[in-house]
Formats: sequence, structure tokens, C-alpha cells
Amino acid sequence: MGKTKNSAGLIRTLMPFAGFIFIVGLFAFLTKGRLYTVGNLKLLLSQTYVLLIACVGVFMIMTMGGLDFSQGSMLGLCSVVVCYLSNINIALAVVCGMITGGLIGLINGFFNVKRKITSFIVTICNMYLFRGIVAYATTKTPVYGASNITTYNTLPFALTFTLVILVVAFVIFQYTGLGNRLKAIGAGETAARFAGIRVERTKILVYAAAGMITGLAAFINSIKVGSVTATAGNQLETQIMIALVLGGMPVNGGAKVKFYNIILGALTYKILTAGLVMLGIEPKTQQLIMGIVFLVMVAIFADRETGMIVK
Amino acid sequence: MSEILLHAEKIDKNFGVTHAIDHVTLDFYKGEIHALIGENGSGKSTFTSCLTGIYHKDSGEFTLNGTEVNARNQVDGNYQGVAIIVQEIGTLSGLSVAENIFLGKEDEFTKCGVKNTNAMNKKAQELLDSYGFNYIKATDLIDNYNFEDRKLIEIVKATHFKPQILVVDETTTALGEKGRIELFKVMKQTRDDGRCVIFISHDLEEVIEQSDTISVLRDGVYIDTVKSADVTPDDLKKLMVGREMSNDYYRTDYGERVSDEVVLRGEHLTVPGEIDDFSIELHKGEIIGIGGLSECGMHEVGKALFGASYDRKGTVTLADGTQINDIKTAIDHSIAYASKDRDNESLVINDTIQDNICLPSLEELKKNHILHAKDQKVFAEKYAKQMSTKMEGVHQFMSALSGGNKQKVVLARWIGKDSDIVILDSPTRGIDVKVKADIYQLMDTMRKNGKSIIMISEEIAELLGMADRIIIMKDGRQSGEFKRAEDLKDTDLIAEMV
Repeated sequence: MGKTKNSAGLIRTLMPFAGFIFIVGLFAFLTKGRLYTVGNLKLLLSQTYVLLIACVGVFMIMTMGGLDFSQGSMLGLCSVVVCYLSNINIALAVVCGMITGGLIGLINGFFNVKRKITSFIVTICNMYLFRGIVAYATTKTPVYGASNITTYNTLPFALTFTLVILVVAFVIFQYTGLGNRLKAIGAGETAARFAGIRVERTKILVYAAAGMITGLAAFINSIKVGSVTATAGNQLETQIMIALVLGGMPVNGGAKVKFYNIILGALTYKILTAGLVMLGIEPKTQQLIMGIVFLVMVAIFADRETGMIVK
Repeated sequence: MSEILLHAEKIDKNFGVTHAIDHVTLDFYKGEIHALIGENGSGKSTFTSCLTGIYHKDSGEFTLNGTEVNARNQVDGNYQGVAIIVQEIGTLSGLSVAENIFLGKEDEFTKCGVKNTNAMNKKAQELLDSYGFNYIKATDLIDNYNFEDRKLIEIVKATHFKPQILVVDETTTALGEKGRIELFKVMKQTRDDGRCVIFISHDLEEVIEQSDTISVLRDGVYIDTVKSADVTPDDLKKLMVGREMSNDYYRTDYGERVSDEVVLRGEHLTVPGEIDDFSIELHKGEIIGIGGLSECGMHEVGKALFGASYDRKGTVTLADGTQINDIKTAIDHSIAYASKDRDNESLVINDTIQDNICLPSLEELKKNHILHAKDQKVFAEKYAKQMSTKMEGVHQFMSALSGGNKQKVVLARWIGKDSDIVILDSPTRGIDVKVKADIYQLMDTMRKNGKSIIMISEEIAELLGMADRIIIMKDGRQSGEFKRAEDLKDTDLIAEMV
């Protein structure tokens, strides 16, 4: 049994890599290589930044065994703030975007930790609440950013911006003990508390940090689009979750998460969707396919042995 | 000799590279209490788990009264005549007492798809009354009862249908005096009906007293079967370990002077429903034993001193005046705590040995503010090996280890942290003699190195053997205090407990 367990563990580790290579290969074949022309790759990359950045925060939340469904609305509201303030000063816009995200994260964390409501419920409530606010802010016209805001949207700038966030997050996660602590909370909250981890404080701060990171994603979103409409960031939360799971992340977090889940997952997801678009598959059929893929991956990566649940 | 009731033929089970039980062939007779003993990881629990459907054996055959037993799960096992009372808690929160007793057997009360809850409650109450537990109400939520009562309910759950084979797996360590008496009554009843009890316990005196026959396993291999009347605990230890065990695994010194230096002072500690105005002073190099009945509040004292109690009143102060009000502060000021609830509080069970050992020491492991994976591995290996933990490697998950090895990891964590004040709650609970001896040895060494220890224990022999000072608690308060002395007797302590 143990040997099969080990090989099952190995398959689970290799699966996301194999999945990535398979998807890359499949669409190379189906699109006859069109997907990977320089122009299309640039386009693909430019569509990946927001997802990649937002995944970083949710990755930390999910490592602790939580979920965040408010990410899409959060991105929407942060984008409103960024676009609105970019008319005054771009740095101010970025900072206030982060603060907005951080505050929403604090609200999530507060209700999850202090009021002891599962993150699933809290963040779904906030998803509707903040979507409502975004809709209100954009009722008459979209919120337009400064006229020069899209000039930031160059490949070197956006790519560097994203990479810096990823590297900083990786270093903090891997080399400060934060990762160990978050994994311990995900794997066993009581035991983590008895090992001296300030579980409540950590949780609230991680929700807030995830919000601030999404504020940064909102900046990239804003320079790409230049304005915000009521649907900005729609379904980002599910995209994040599908991406992380595609990257090999167990939905219930814990000891088995790896930082590379973020990058692998976001890339696999974006290639998959871009490929489907290029093949001219209708949006509703795309959703159907994504649903099936998500279900299959969750079934593979859920950590059933340990019987953990999403908190 | 009476008839064979259960025959086990070449039972074999592997967990990865670990050969948990190696072709064990064993007979159990009608009308006997048959004890299974062995060190941690010797395969006792694995053997009975295969019988009762908790695990599935790799090969071999169990024959009960001439029919093969092949339980797919515990309920299936019940219907085939085998039942088990497990080591850890085996009842489900959120369900009523009656629902727990008939878990998986709801069909017995279901007619045309409708469950007759009243009939089930009535039957459950009759059963509880017949066992003499009439203060337990079948309709109550199980959560209303404490650990011990839940264990009693489990006894009813496992035995009410008169299984041919009843497995009692290390249950007594979780029970107080009253629970033990009830359990032994049920075991004797089972024997006198011509059925059989398989009894697993680490308490060798208890084993000899309660059982008729004793079989010994070592490293998954069957060693020998002896008559309980013919052996002493030392004979059994020899069989278990395979070598002569020295008898004196407790401290042997008496009359040593304890330092006057107070390292930890708890004053007027009160936790509602648990402890009531309890005060304690711990000296440098001292071992304080705290004893009492399991519900006397002593387990909460450990939590209170560690800053882990909810709603604690009173103060916990270190020699330098630091107040301990939360766990982080406690650990940062060199206090360690090993909980009685090992799987939930002491260890992150779904994590690796390495992560568990390193968790409180992450800050110390950093070099120039950077935590390297390699340093964590070296650190974990060093202390896991120092405690001679039986493992495949430090990347193994805790859930795969036996009880004694889990406790070794807990201790490895705090030795690695080099804590000066160590609070151990039931440190040898469910642990075999060899590891027990290691733990006592370790405590003695720590004491000599100037570390201070508070040992909370339900085992009187352990308190008498290890502590410089013994505090007995009753109803949340201190009821007696004894200095270490050669002529101190267990009866002296018991007199203060009840």
C-alpha cells in the first residue's frame, strides 16, 4: 500500500507538469502552431498578469485552508479607485488601490476569524456586496483612468511588475517561515496554535495582504483597459481557483502546497482559455469545458486521505 | 482447554516499507480474556484493526466459529461478530447518544424508509440502563458528555449486540477509575458468556490482573503465548523487548535538595468549570507531579500555565517578571507544553516530522534573517534521531507514526527548542515500556541540567517515581501536597484524590 501511495504521490506531483505540457502540445496541434506566434504569445502574456498576481494572495489564503470568492469584485472596486485617482497622481492611485484591497481583505478576515464564519460564506457575501458597489460607481458611465494611463501598458513594464511581485512573494513565503506557518494552520489549526503561531492574527493579515496584492493586480488591469465597467474582474475568483488547482494545489491547502502551483496553474489556465478562443469555440461551450476540467482536477488533488475540509 | 473461537492464519499487512504484521498465526479460545502486548509499532493494533475492518489485511484468514471473517468496515465487522473499542475517541460529535450507539445500524429501526427515532432512543436508553449508566440520556447530544462518559457510551456501542470477539484497544489509558471498573465488568461478562475479549494495554500489571492468556508481538512477529497466572511484569518485558530490562526505570535518588530559585509562579489560577483558585511555584531543576482523577482539572493547569486556556483568571509569572498570557509569549520565554491530546494539540498530524519539529524554532533556524530548507532538515534529523524516532525519514507524515513515535517527535520539538520549563501532560499515555523508560531517563537528565518540569499524570506510579513534589487535585483545587520520599505510598495519594 505504501509503495502505491508513494507512486500515487509522485503522479500527483508530476500531474500538473504533464497537464501543462499536454495542453501546450494539444493546442500547438489543434491551432497548427498559430497560438504560439510571437504576437499571440505577447497577447497571451498580457492577459496573464492580472490572474498571476491575484493568484499569489489567494494561494496564501488557500494554504491556510481558506477560500476567497470576493477576488473578482475586489479587483473591480480596486480598479475603480485606481482609475479614478490616476487622474490625480498615478502613484497615489496604486497606493490607494492597494489600501482598498487591503480593507476588503480585512473585512473578510475579520468576519472569518472574529465572527467565526467560514471563509467560503464570508467571501461570497462580500463578492455580492462589492460587486454592487462597483455597479453603483459605474452606473452612468465607466470610470475612466487618466488619458496617459495606458502608456504604462508595455511588455517590459508589466512583465517586470509581475515578476517582482512573484519573486518578493516567493522569498517571503519560502525563506521567512511564513510558508511553514501557513501550511501548519492549513494542516491543523489547533496544533499550530499550540506551537506558538498567532493563528487569528496571521489569518487576518493574510486576508488583508491578499487584498493588497489584488490592488496591484487592479493597477495592471487598469493600465491595460484604461477604464472600469460594472463587470470588471467578473469571475476572476473562479479563474484563480481553477488556475491554482490546475497548478496542482490541494483545494484544502495544508502541507502539500508548493509555490510553483501559482505559475504553472496560471499559465496552464490561460493557454487553455486562449486556445479555446482561438479554435472559435463558443463562450458557453468554453465554460462547459472549464467546468469539467476543474471538477476532474479537484477530484485528483483533493487531499482525501487526511480528511481535511475547507474552512 | 476449551474450544477455539477465532483462528488467525498467517495474517500479513504492510504499510509501505514497514512490515506491520508478518504472517501472524494465533488462536483465541471461548471464554477467555486474551491480552495482546508488545512495544509501540509491534503490530497489536494493526492486527486487531485488520480483524475488525478498520484496515484491510494483505493476506491471511480469520476464521470465527468455522466461518471466515472478512470485515469491509467496522459496522460490517459488527454484523460478522467482531467489535472494537478504540484508543482515541470513537464517537461522533453533533449526534445524539442513541444515534452514536446505533451508528450504521439505523436500518434496524427503519420501516418503509422511515426511521423510528423513538424506538431507537428507547432501545438505547434500555441498553444504557442495563449497563448501569442510567445517568446518561439517550436523547442527549453526545457533546454534553465528557471524554470518560463518551468512552462508556462507546462500550455500550461496541458490546450491546454481544459480539463473539470484543477488542479493547488501549482504552484504559483514557479512562479514570470508574470507567475502568465498568470496562472490566463488561470484559468479564463477555468472557463468562463463553465469548472472547482481545485486550490491548501497555500497563503490564493491569494485563496480568485482567487477562487469562497473554500473547506477545515484537516488530510484527508473533513471539509467544503465556498464561497470565504464570508470569510477572518483568517476564513480559523481557518477551516484548527481547532483552533484559532493568527494573528501575524511575529515578532512584531521594532526599536531594531542590533549588530555592523559583522559575515559574502561577497565582490564583481560575478557569471556569475547570480549575478554581489554584496556585503553584516551580523551582529550578524541580519535577513537580500533578495528579488526581481525570476530571479534577489538572489537565487544564498545564494549559493555563502555557497561556492556552480560554478565559483564564489569575497570573502566571516568570522569574524575570514576564507575564504569560498567550502561547506565543510562553514559547518565546522558554516554556514547552506537550498536551494529553497529542493528535490535535501537540502535533500537526497532517504534516511532516520535519515541519512539526521545526515549527516553534523557525526564528532560531534563520541565518541572516533567511530560513533555509536544508537547515530545517538537518535540525529535524538531529533531534528526531536523538530521540531515536522510528521513521523512514523526516519527510514522513506524522499520521503514519505509532503513538510512541509521535510522542518522541513532540519531545524532539521541545528539546530542539531547548526550553527551560517543560509542561508534560500524560507524557507516557499509551506508550510502551521501552519508550517510557527513555522518557523518564530524559526527564531525569533535563532535571539535572537545571530544567524544570511539571508532569501531569494519571499514573500514580509515575508520580511517585519521578516527582520531587506531588500536588494532588480534586474538583479544580489543590487537595494535597507530598514531598518526594521513599516511604510514600500510592494509597496516600489516592486518599487525597477521592
